[in-house]
Amino acid sequence: MTASTTGTVSTADPVLDVTGLRVTRARPGGGADTIVSSVSMSLGAGETIGIVGESGSGKSMTAKAITGLLPPGLTAHGEVRYGGRNLLELREKQWRAVRGREIGMILQDPFTMLNPVVRCGQIIAESLPGEARRAGRAQRRAEVARRLAEVGIRDESVAHRYPFQLSGGMRQRVAIAAALARDPRVLIADEPSTALDVATQREILALIQQIQRAHGMSVIMITHDLRVAFAVCERVYVLYAGSLVEAAPAAELRDEPLHPYSQGLLLSEPPAGHRVRELAVIPGSVPSPDQVAGSCTFAPRCAWAAPQCRQGTPPLAEVELPGVVPGRLSACVRLPEIRAEMMLARERAGREQHQAVAGRAETALISVRDARKVFQQGSRAVTALDGVSLDVGDGESVGIVGESGSGKTTLARLLIGLERATEGQVTIDGIPATDWPALSGGDRRRLRGTVQIVFQDPYSSLNPMRSIGWTLAEAITTHDRRARNVPARVGDLLASVGLPASYAQRKPFALSGGERQRVAIARALAVRPRLLICDEPVSALDVSVQAQILNLLTALRAERRIGYLFITHDLSIVRQITDYLYVMRHGRVVESGPTEGVLTSPRDAYTIKLIESVPGRQALTPRSATTSRE
Amino acid sequence: MSTAVALPAEITGAGRRRRRGSWLISACLVVVGVVVVMAVFGSAIAPQDPNAQNTFFILARPSGAHWLGTDSLGRDVFSRLIAGARTAFLGPLVIAASSMLLGNLLGLLAGYRGGRTDALIMRWVDLMWAVPGLLLIIVVAGALGSGYWLAVGLLIVLTVPFDTRVVRGVTLEQAPRPYVEAARTLGVPDWRIMLFHIWPNVSPVAIANAFLVFAGSLTSLAGLSFLGLGVAPGTPDWGLMLSEGLQDLFVNPIAVLAPGVMIVLTATSMNLIGDWLQERLSSKGAAR
Repeated sequence: MTASTTGTVSTADPVLDVTGLRVTRARPGGGADTIVSSVSMSLGAGETIGIVGESGSGKSMTAKAITGLLPPGLTAHGEVRYGGRNLLELREKQWRAVRGREIGMILQDPFTMLNPVVRCGQIIAESLPGEARRAGRAQRRAEVARRLAEVGIRDESVAHRYPFQLSGGMRQRVAIAAALARDPRVLIADEPSTALDVATQREILALIQQIQRAHGMSVIMITHDLRVAFAVCERVYVLYAGSLVEAAPAAELRDEPLHPYSQGLLLSEPPAGHRVRELAVIPGSVPSPDQVAGSCTFAPRCAWAAPQCRQGTPPLAEVELPGVVPGRLSACVRLPEIRAEMMLARERAGREQHQAVAGRAETALISVRDARKVFQQGSRAVTALDGVSLDVGDGESVGIVGESGSGKTTLARLLIGLERATEGQVTIDGIPATDWPALSGGDRRRLRGTVQIVFQDPYSSLNPMRSIGWTLAEAITTHDRRARNVPARVGDLLASVGLPASYAQRKPFALSGGERQRVAIARALAVRPRLLICDEPVSALDVSVQAQILNLLTALRAERRIGYLFITHDLSIVRQITDYLYVMRHGRVVESGPTEGVLTSPRDAYTIKLIESVPGRQALTPRSATTSRE
Repeated sequence: MSTAVALPAEITGAGRRRRRGSWLISACLVVVGVVVVMAVFGSAIAPQDPNAQNTFFILARPSGAHWLGTDSLGRDVFSRLIAGARTAFLGPLVIAASSMLLGNLLGLLAGYRGGRTDALIMRWVDLMWAVPGLLLIIVVAGALGSGYWLAVGLLIVLTVPFDTRVVRGVTLEQAPRPYVEAARTLGVPDWRIMLFHIWPNVSPVAIANAFLVFAGSLTSLAGLSFLGLGVAPGTPDWGLMLSEGLQDLFVNPIAVLAPGVMIVLTATSMNLIGDWLQERLSSKGAAR
């Protein structure tokens, strides 16, 4: 899955050529906010390029501008040349001849992209070109079957099913078939695999690649995940706060990023192959383009920022340094001076190995025995947990990995009393916690003070109407009715998660995703728990922020001797933060053991499949694989 | 950090909305303000005694002495209009407030607790919706004798299910949110979760609903008075004035139109203020 060819940045005869694209949103009171400040890129025939950026970088708006699908109120300026025309000048009627036929698009969410009341066969049939659409019924049906087979769906009954009857991966395949129905020359894929499980993600990426080769299409892959970009793209554009900071062939960028932001992004990815003591982080979060106008967009967060970085917007210019292939672009003005330092920083990050503690804690804080949970959905019974047994020791960090639907979240909810097991026993700190409502008030309070949880979505886990201080104060007083000096303790809690005490006055909407997740962690810490259940705590966050939160969790563990039950689908995160690992599938534990052991020599077929599905694994491991096996 | 820039944009966005609707909302606030002053001070600020009859001067056209003329008993229409604001405002206020209180409690309980509690409350709500309200009032008032406060009490019973259903719906949407579950895992008592966590997020809808109920019961009460089932005959009341003046519609149309216009103006103003409040309240915390 590595990029097969190494293209150069300037394409001789581009299919699509974007120059100086700028997207603005009209402000209600007059004036405009910039969403994309300047993007120039070219796409060659049969080429796959990647646009990589965090949320707020403007990558999706760039794609929407190219397809003329900007939401109302947003305007695109600049030039998007395709087939001798500037697409930005087209009228809606002319767009219809371009979209689908010339430029196809796949979106992130396969659950909302397909019309739920139209059968899959019909969705594809109505996207077919005119002559095929008007052909006889039998012919049309054969054409639909051929299109479905092309995306790997051989089961003909799929054409008669509705989208909601299909799995996420199948839906994404149907969506791809619909996008390809008119044989477009350019395919824009906006995070096509983000909402899918790891194994499915790998299949979809492979499918896009295979179709791209078969049709000789050009593909623009939009993603936040550098690993995905490296796996499928030939060239990668790195977008930050609405402007491009670097453009380079994928393999070159992986080996030597030539912009501090690309390097930061690369280093914040938890390495899949080995454990590090601390992940490299980019401090802060992505600013809006207007905040950093007139200077290097990355300067406020850059470790190498100097006064010259703030004097005017640095242009994206060709890098002419020894050992750099021609055609690489970077927007860093200090690159010649800091190149050696950047290289050093990379080496340091690669070298820093950390050995996980082997062996398990002697006393089990949590013990689950043969837990079963059956949900009654109408007349249908869904088994979420099917005889799960699991132990978490005091101060231990235990991971649970599994795809969606494996029952890992249900297990977490069982442990904090939000669900009740249908069968089996749960014991927490010696208290039988199978049936929470039957417990005495004192026991229940002790359990609350032992186990706490951090939820996945930082945007809905804080009450939007309450200030941060109110939320934390409530957490403190709920457990300690006679608590004194609550405001000071709120300040301490905020400090322990790295936030200034002044945040107590703020409402959640004034905080970024990472900051909200910090508050959610602080709230859980308010009762001084011995175990923190983290249910996908970083999956909704950007890579650079994700690393900040993971480091915070590692630091808190060392500081407070707190244990974790870490639930995730991401194997590289599990390696960084857990000592012991359970792999779950279909409500059962299929494999368990010390994390390093399971990840380096998995025994179960499913675990092996999971590990192989990590995008760009082969590409990312070589440098570290030798060291981690020692 | 990026919010520092996003904030001004949101504020101007709200400002624009306020500016566009501002003259209308100001007008509504003025109307309601005037009615409140009239309701509080009543006959004290009326130019004449609203109940003083002047049989020599019946059905007079508007003049300097009687701004809106006189009715069939020679009473000053303008003074009666001012004094009538009390029954027009007080009843709906009591209805809206008590129905909001009871309806919110029942709705929160049904939506948050679910299960048997929910089933019990909602079956009662369904039953109340199946009962034709006006007919019920006419039957009960006919059996127990008509009276203003009886009508108010009956209207409360009839509007509580309306509030309950709306609040339950919004509560159902909020209850499975992670912030509620986080409070549960912290061990926050259920009543606290309902009142301090869920209710603030339900309040924009609940408050807007209370204004709707106010406007609705203002017209209902006026209608009952018009039918002779509300206030006692002779009381200055907009609904009653409407029915009393109807027979002399062509002699002194102002005597009929004035209370009618007041009912429509007050009800519409309350509706619009409710709408505007909901918009403001829901953009307060949850600017998403």
